[in-house]
Amino acid sequence: MLNIIKSDLYRIFRGKSLYIVTAIIIFMAVISAITLSPGHIGVAVGTGSTMTDPDTVAKIAEAKTLGEFRDVMKEIGTIKLDAQIIGQNSNLYYFFIVFVVVIITSDFSNKSVKNTLSSAISRREYYFSKLITVIGMGTVLVLFNDFINYVLNYVINGKEFASEIGYITKISLIQIPVVWTLICMLVCIAFFVRKTSVFNTISIPLLMILQVIAVILFAILRETPKWYTDFELQYALSNLANEPSNSYIIKCFVLSTVYIVAFVTAGYCAFKNAEVK
Amino acid sequence: MKEAILRTEKLTKKYKDFLALDQATITVNKGDIYGLIGRNGAGKTTLMKTVTTLTNKTSGEYYLFGKNNEDLTECKRRIGCLIESPAFFEGMTAYQNLKYYAIQKGIVDKKKIDEVLELVKLTESKDKKFKTFSLGMKQRLGIAFAMLDNPDFVILDEPINGLDPIGISELRDTLKKLNEEQGVTMMISSHILSELYLIANRFCFIDNGRIIKEITKEELDAECSKSIAIKTNQVKEALVILEKELGTTNYKVIDDSEIRLYDYLDNAGKVNKTLAANDIDVIGIYEAGITLEEYFKSIVREG
Repeated sequence: MLNIIKSDLYRIFRGKSLYIVTAIIIFMAVISAITLSPGHIGVAVGTGSTMTDPDTVAKIAEAKTLGEFRDVMKEIGTIKLDAQIIGQNSNLYYFFIVFVVVIITSDFSNKSVKNTLSSAISRREYYFSKLITVIGMGTVLVLFNDFINYVLNYVINGKEFASEIGYITKISLIQIPVVWTLICMLVCIAFFVRKTSVFNTISIPLLMILQVIAVILFAILRETPKWYTDFELQYALSNLANEPSNSYIIKCFVLSTVYIVAFVTAGYCAFKNAEVK
Repeated sequence: MKEAILRTEKLTKKYKDFLALDQATITVNKGDIYGLIGRNGAGKTTLMKTVTTLTNKTSGEYYLFGKNNEDLTECKRRIGCLIESPAFFEGMTAYQNLKYYAIQKGIVDKKKIDEVLELVKLTESKDKKFKTFSLGMKQRLGIAFAMLDNPDFVILDEPINGLDPIGISELRDTLKKLNEEQGVTMMISSHILSELYLIANRFCFIDNGRIIKEITKEELDAECSKSIAIKTNQVKEALVILEKELGTTNYKVIDDSEIRLYDYLDNAGKVNKTLAANDIDVIGIYEAGITLEEYFKSIVREG
């Protein structure tokens, strides 16, 4: 199993994707720090932002340049930008897709999976090696994203916009089970479809489609249930970065564990009896 | 008794209503170069994919190095495979692709990569990306991959596809050398019997998923040897006469108008007279050997 992981790391470090992903993360971190904006994709937005205050919104609206905008934000001075950026870690979902494609589906699309399975290892070893590699790479990516944002925000905006390093470490770690849930979901889809094009077609819009369905459903019901804003994966990541209670952390941990076991089992069962073409 | 490297017992693979492999029972002994011959879609690749766990069997058993089921994973490390077309990472060079699999197989000595590249004459192209390779070069890289881990048993599915005549000849020499000098057992599939004949010492004919015949090279030579060719449009009737009047079943039906008789080789006249006396319209009768292609066709027809 270790050999499979090592060989995949060899391939990843020789490819471009890892370096492109790293460059984009640094670029996004710089942009977020300069614009004092965490940025987000999807419906879940950090709840700790002072931008919800009407006076603040009005002042920001009057700012004509980025410099003026930054001055307004600095006057307000209570925003902990790094924590808010970490609250938007669901954005990293798209980078997890890159890793799943590079590590898993490209092996199927190139049909090179035959070489591995026919003369090296069992399907179980193959499945779990790939899973561990993607989880490992995803976790490193999240931690890199969190700490690079912390450092760049500290350097560019100063300590009044930065959280304590201990707090950043804590929220980074408590987010990991939810991050792993997202990764396991993608790995499960990858082993179900075993083709890059189909995987991309499903995984890229998946979160948005699920959210749109939820929004439409809740609009019809005229109520957004609390469980949704508490435990939908994007909301959970956002909430976990915003001084969560211990009971909430435990609930997220338990729920993530259930999801992870379900996704890993489903993915393995789909792959175990599949025809390798 | 020779050690069986691969043994299958009534191995069956069914895809919905399609029976791709029908109770296949074969034995590949240590040191064999085992030629698997069949038409396209006969079941050669399915048999290879099944014993290399790329597809699950429907029923039956197979044993690699005498082991099956849970013990197979360890055995698989002793196998080198090239199943269907060679598949590698397009954006990586030949050397990088082999290094990837060397790491995967736990091969510490990286000189082995250069050795197998040299074996298939790809040393000069080792830094070229796989996507720039011709079909023949891809095929050779696939063979290099199969040889990477000093396998005891090599399974090659249509390895000569895409190779030019010189490449085919070089590959044949390489495989023979590996078999003779290192004792590597091989199972090689092809639909070109004449090519397999030059390398294999045992042959297995497969058609419609069924194993029709397992035969040694000596037996094949004997079956293709001198015979009496009988040309007639009454093949069925002639066979009855041969069996009843001449008391022989040692014949082969080549096609709708030709029978090859392996008895009465010094007495073709008697055969002719007997057939004529029984109202069989003999168009021609002469001494002949059977070509490999004719033999293959007759075997498939019989099957």
